[in-house]
Amino acid sequence: MISNNWIDHALRRTPWRNQRQAFALMTLGFFVAMIIGALYLSQAAAVATTGRQLEELINERTRLEQMNEQLRGEIAGLLSVPNLQQRARELGFELAGREDIEYLVIDGYDPTRSRTPVRLEVESVAAPVYEETFSGWLQQQWDAFTGQSNAASEPEVQ
Amino acid sequence: MRSEPFPQEEMLRQRLPVISIVLVVVSIFLLGRLMSFQLQLDPTVLNYLESVRNSNYSRTLRLAAARGNIFDRDMQALAVNTLEYRVGISPNLVSNPRELATQLAGIMGLDELETFQKLSTNSSWELLAPRVSAEVGHQLTQLNSVAIQMDPIPRRSYPQGTLASHVVGFVGGDLIGYYGVEGFYQSDLAGRERDREVSNIPFVVPEDQREDRGADLILTIDREMQFLAEAELQQAVAETGSTEGTIIIMNPRNGEILAMANYPSYDPNAYYDVNDPSLLANPAIGEQYEPGSVMKVLTIASALELGIVGPNDTYLDQGALEAGGIRIENWDRQAHGVVDMTGILVQSLNVGAATVSLDMGPLAFYGKLRDFGFGRPTGVDLQGEAPGTMYVPGDEDYSDSQLLTNSFGQGIAVTPLQMLTAVSAIANDGLMMQPHVFKELIDDDRQQTSEPSTLGRPISEETARLVTEMMVAVVNEGLDGNASLPGYSIAGKTGTAQIPTPIGYEPNASIVSFVGFLPADDPQVSVLVKLNRPSGYWGSQVAAPVFQRLAERLVILLKIPPDDIRWALQAEGGVVNEISR
Repeated sequence: MISNNWIDHALRRTPWRNQRQAFALMTLGFFVAMIIGALYLSQAAAVATTGRQLEELINERTRLEQMNEQLRGEIAGLLSVPNLQQRARELGFELAGREDIEYLVIDGYDPTRSRTPVRLEVESVAAPVYEETFSGWLQQQWDAFTGQSNAASEPEVQ
Repeated sequence: MRSEPFPQEEMLRQRLPVISIVLVVVSIFLLGRLMSFQLQLDPTVLNYLESVRNSNYSRTLRLAAARGNIFDRDMQALAVNTLEYRVGISPNLVSNPRELATQLAGIMGLDELETFQKLSTNSSWELLAPRVSAEVGHQLTQLNSVAIQMDPIPRRSYPQGTLASHVVGFVGGDLIGYYGVEGFYQSDLAGRERDREVSNIPFVVPEDQREDRGADLILTIDREMQFLAEAELQQAVAETGSTEGTIIIMNPRNGEILAMANYPSYDPNAYYDVNDPSLLANPAIGEQYEPGSVMKVLTIASALELGIVGPNDTYLDQGALEAGGIRIENWDRQAHGVVDMTGILVQSLNVGAATVSLDMGPLAFYGKLRDFGFGRPTGVDLQGEAPGTMYVPGDEDYSDSQLLTNSFGQGIAVTPLQMLTAVSAIANDGLMMQPHVFKELIDDDRQQTSEPSTLGRPISEETARLVTEMMVAVVNEGLDGNASLPGYSIAGKTGTAQIPTPIGYEPNASIVSFVGFLPADDPQVSVLVKLNRPSGYWGSQVAAPVFQRLAERLVILLKIPPDDIRWALQAEGGVVNEISR
């Protein structure tokens, strides 16, 4: 058979063609594996880096919370009554005695009145209902047009 | 011609089935064993295997929960958390010991030479300081040295120092609260520890696990009033030479304890420096004493409530009374003639009080004292409360004479808080409120607010009004103005009690007290002042003036105007209580 002979003949003359095909397939497979591996490594590295960053952020938050507690304690110490008294004395304040205090009774003033002169509560206004329709828009245009034409037809009054 | 097989080939052919069978059997065994792991396994073995597996992949960190903070009623911090550090160093990692030693000595206040010697060794770890403050720790961090190791040590800090130390309590080295609210609310404040799994695999993203922080506690204590009470108490102790003292300020309307001061006190930041452990306990709730004549108020109130006497009933005071196998005498050993109920209180007559209790009889008398809360704890939310001691008929230690002596506060032991709670019932129209220091509890997911609760109604509103009038008369007429405040109506009663010993009473020592409330017609605060072993003997001379000074500051602090102005304000529709708070 001619055709088979031709192929056999060709293969016999160039045996490297089969080898090259296999080599190409292997190389392709290798590169695909390399790309997948690189992607995986890149992704894993990104996850690992993010994990470490998260860990550091958590530690930082803990440290800041502890520092806040520390500052709260220091502020409370600085605001302790003896410190405040000392500071007030330095600023020239003195303890008020009973005789230093004057109470005033204002006629008609009710300190526990329930009503205030200024209305503090805002009246709740219901939100307008959305009613834009095509027919409504046409009606608006028509009304505007008839309004203008009526105004133009009416004589001007001095 | 067929050739003979080789001997080896024949041998292999014979052995091959055996080897195959052995291999199949071993494979079946291994397969079976593998399946047994997948199906059923002893839980102990399973746990062990899991722990072995996990130990390679992760480690467990125990997160100690931060303790809740404690605040006064105006959110001023009374107890907060801080950190201290244990500082160690790895000398083998130090490149320049001389320079680092100089820096460490400067920051930590160490001896430079000693530090240099420590740093010059080749050991892997040396302790530099067991505890340094957070500030020093921060400075050490700035050095950025890999050789320095700092282990955080949680510490409870009390920024107000000794203020309200007996109310707050303290947290010990074991991180457990002792005394006060630290002890009473230990479970709420402490929070819960949590184990955190930290993966050793870098690809595992860490979980954001938070510890269960303890709840914050807001107390009814008013920091300024507490400071005022402590300052007045210290001054009183210094002036009178007393050995101990207590002042309690309470809102009789709702039972809120606004201040609770004791002398001597201690600094909860350095509780370990206290030599006498009994100083750590709160005497305002844990110390029992004989109240003396303050008890007469409750005796008269009980008799009025039961209708055994009327406010205008009188008796003939002959200066002494013999009953129950003992002889009772007045404090001045004088006869006072015809005296009414108000007179008994104003002149503080033992004979009058004993006469009334005799009329009541033990059943009615002790029944009413029990209604007033004596002989049992008040249930205040502080650790270490004592119940007091009150013997009643049927008790082994009871004798008939106690009906008489108890009526004027001898032979009965109460705590200062018990006495103030009972007298506060008179101030609150006969309704006795549960004393408490808890105002609010704030947790991540819950907020709990205290509601006033009652302990009972020992007397009616009418009886309370009558007794209040009598107590006002005591302050106005019976104490030489030692407890009065011009322009203010004050109700009160003094007490002077001898100090019992196993062989009788101490001859020249007393416990003096004053219990009162103001303004008498609309009480905003009730106050107890108690001093032990003052140089003066009588409550009217020692305790009443202390109350007077305290009341003078309290009306300013609470913005309570004099009575006439207050009434004018009320006539205009104002309520003083709402103005000042």
